[in-house]
Amino acid sequence: MWQSLWSQIMDLTLVVVMLRFMTPILLSALGGLISEIAGVINIGLEGLMLISAFTSIAVGSATGSWVLGTLAGVAASVMICYGMGFFSIKLKVDIIIAGFAVNIFGSGFTIFMMSRIYGVSGNYSPSGLNNIPAINIPFIQHIPVLGKLLSGHSLMVWIALISVIFCMLLIYRTPYGVHLRSVGEAPEAAKSLGIPVNRIQYSALAWSGVFAGLAGAYLSMGMTSMFVKDMTAGTGFLALAVVLLGNRNPAGIFFGAIIFGLASAVTTLVQTTPGSPIPSQFIQMIPYVVTIIALVFFAVRKKRRRIVLAQG
Amino acid sequence: MKTGNATILEFAGIAVAVILALLCGFAVILVTSDEPLNALASLLLGPVSNLFNIGTVLNKAVPLIFTGLALAVVFQSGVFSMGAEGQLYAGGFLGALAGVYIHGLTPWLHLPLVLICAMVGGALFAAIAGLLKTYANANEIVTTLMLNFVAILTTSYFVNNMFKDPNSGGFARMPYVNPEILLGKLFPGFPAHAGIVLALLAVVVVYLMLYKTNVGYELRLVGKSSRFAHYGGIATNRVVLTSIMISGAFAGLAGIVEILGVHGTYKDNFSAGLGFDGIIIALLARNHPIGVLIAALFYAYIQVGAQTMQVGSDMPREVAVIMQVMLVLLVSSQAIFVYLKQKYGQKAVK
Repeated sequence: MWQSLWSQIMDLTLVVVMLRFMTPILLSALGGLISEIAGVINIGLEGLMLISAFTSIAVGSATGSWVLGTLAGVAASVMICYGMGFFSIKLKVDIIIAGFAVNIFGSGFTIFMMSRIYGVSGNYSPSGLNNIPAINIPFIQHIPVLGKLLSGHSLMVWIALISVIFCMLLIYRTPYGVHLRSVGEAPEAAKSLGIPVNRIQYSALAWSGVFAGLAGAYLSMGMTSMFVKDMTAGTGFLALAVVLLGNRNPAGIFFGAIIFGLASAVTTLVQTTPGSPIPSQFIQMIPYVVTIIALVFFAVRKKRRRIVLAQG
Repeated sequence: MKTGNATILEFAGIAVAVILALLCGFAVILVTSDEPLNALASLLLGPVSNLFNIGTVLNKAVPLIFTGLALAVVFQSGVFSMGAEGQLYAGGFLGALAGVYIHGLTPWLHLPLVLICAMVGGALFAAIAGLLKTYANANEIVTTLMLNFVAILTTSYFVNNMFKDPNSGGFARMPYVNPEILLGKLFPGFPAHAGIVLALLAVVVVYLMLYKTNVGYELRLVGKSSRFAHYGGIATNRVVLTSIMISGAFAGLAGIVEILGVHGTYKDNFSAGLGFDGIIIALLARNHPIGVLIAALFYAYIQVGAQTMQVGSDMPREVAVIMQVMLVLLVSSQAIFVYLKQKYGQKAVK
């Protein structure tokens, strides 16, 4: 068992699997980050991903185009986010409750549509689906270690990595980012400065819809080629955890997503290795426990800082 | 007089929200079904069409009443816990251990012991989130969501590896509980089990606790204004911890009653979201124990209706989910309720 795990680390299988698991977590965590920064905590990532995963595979298989599929998935997810915004900003539903509702809706609605459109209840796997393509980099793909490390990953893996940089620029280098942060930190002050608080919060939710949408499309058209009911299986909650673990910072989130991706990858490897001595449940648990510890750590540090400030 | 009016308005608002949510579901059925009348009829009348279905409604309502109460208590203290699901597993697990592995007690001693174990299990597990909140100031929404996974995975490990019934034929479950302590049917030929009696009892207990005791008074005060309560000399941290643990105890009861009434033993992943349904129940009930009873019965009615509809027509039962979502959103819309109060509350005062 150890030997087989070790050999999979050595031949970089672990890294490849880690990247596959990291991508949806990273993308949806970036979405969660933007809305969190604007003060609208989106716990509906799980539901958004499901809706996007279903929409993108439905459109993707009907049109034969992964581009249209992905776009449709993102559009559906953004639409739900606007709905969420309507209920939370306009009708003053608590944002946590709105996100909770989106999660129930995502699960139920996709099962409903699957049964109405395709007449199946468990999973839908269309034949001849064009998945989001893998990128094979010429020359590099033939170099032994570098080839496996860099080449042959899904396009969405690269989009996720680029998104990290995109979010950094968006949040810290644009006027819009300043607005986002000020709305999140002091909405009253932002309002008095003439920043349209509601519009910024709507747009932050829309951004979280975009990224959760990309993550969902990858789940059904990249990681797999099918839609399975409740296929997110907690990815949205992991993403939520990553946002906090990464201390609400794109770079931190990137590392958080790597840790969680690694934990998921090891879980799969352990589960598929016969006679494993480590119970997979405990490896699966690592991300959640790490998050709780990190939360405590951040909270304690914040408290100390406040005490220091008060004394100073 | 004024508060009476406010209550009536609140009640009317919730009723309107319920009707609107139902109408949304009806609209979906009318648009997408090929036999809409048939589907509607089995959705609305199915649950009361025979004794068996009525019993099923009661059975479905039982765990929802317990988780609804659990969340109503903790919400009243201003803590937004989403941890009932995990506490339900922790409590159900400990209770089931006591039910399966303790032998030789008379049922009259054994059953209370099992129930107490479940309450202790739920309360202790809830205490983790409580301590994290009170001592480390960690956001309870996130910690409880994470702790749910911890509870589900840990119990799953135990039931798969240590307490698995060797004769279970591959299913991840414990050996069956001593049949004498199972919650049997209320009447022969009527499937409702005795859990409903315990649930009604729990409603009364929570009502008395919240509105007639010091603990309940402090708990509600902290929920209304933590700072005010603090200046009033209430140890808010202790109150918050107590309310989270009481909530955990009721979630644990939800687990064990479901085990003793329906499953007969602890099964891996037996809850499938009862703790989350409890959130909806508590929201619908405005965190009032009697409201919880009504909301849980209504919710169970819709669930059984959706099932009979799935069997009796071309509509899948997930239509009910659309109604649930609308219900949650409309009932929690403060804007609508504030508007109602401003418009009709003023008139009533004049």
